[in-house]
Amino acid sequence: MSAVYRAAIKVADRFVPAKLQPLWNHEAGPKTIFFWAPTFKWALVIAGIADLRRPAERLSLTQSTALAATGLIWSRYSMVIIPKNWNLFSVNIFVAATGLYQLARIVNYRRELEARNKK
Amino acid sequence: SSSSGHSRMSAGGNLFTRGLRYLASKEFRSYLCSTHFWDPVANWGLPLAALADVKKNPEMISGKMTTALFFYSMAFMRFAWRVQPRNMLLFACHFTNDTAQLVQLCRFTDYWYVKDEAQRQQLRRQYEDAAGEAAAEVAVAEPKK
Repeated sequence: MSAVYRAAIKVADRFVPAKLQPLWNHEAGPKTIFFWAPTFKWALVIAGIADLRRPAERLSLTQSTALAATGLIWSRYSMVIIPKNWNLFSVNIFVAATGLYQLARIVNYRRELEARNKK
Repeated sequence: SSSSGHSRMSAGGNLFTRGLRYLASKEFRSYLCSTHFWDPVANWGLPLAALADVKKNPEMISGKMTTALFFYSMAFMRFAWRVQPRNMLLFACHFTNDTAQLVQLCRFTDYWYVKDEAQRQQLRRQYEDAAGEAAAEVAVAEPKK
């Protein structure tokens, strides 16, 4: 597998224009996990946005809380680390936003349910 | 035996005392105050949430989010391994998360694609009854105002 990958990268290396070479070969660039891992975190945002259509009773309170908390904390820390990682910052802002929105939906729904049950 | 005890002390003590001394050392305390410690601590919320959800109604599982979390944790396991310095706490967090998300994925697939509608209805009633009992217990425990 890795032989196939290395051959593909050798081919791709020839096509990268000279101006983009420093970005392509960067130590946190697209050939490394330091690029793809934060990039992949956007899948969590997309899944979160797709989940906005789920009815509130089918949402998990613990998961939304955990996502909101991790998004908020990592947003701060991606600004504190050296070098600042704007990719990581932006993705975590969105993770926090979708998590908080889902959390608000769940809390609202449960409050409505309690109010209805009390009547 | 007294001479062997003396040589052990000059070698720094046994594993337990050495361990305690490391915990009291300056480097460990600065690690505890660093981002290398607190980021993974924050991330542990995700696997703990997933483990808590394993007992709950499988209808609460979002297939899309669980799949996304599964691949996300795989990517971050490698990230934690390759980052400088290597972050084993983050690695352990994402390893646990992958296990928990895989369990949830199996429960999701089983509930929606293996069981038939009758079994699902039965499970739904079971969870509703359990929720009803829990609510009744809470009502009994709280004094009526």
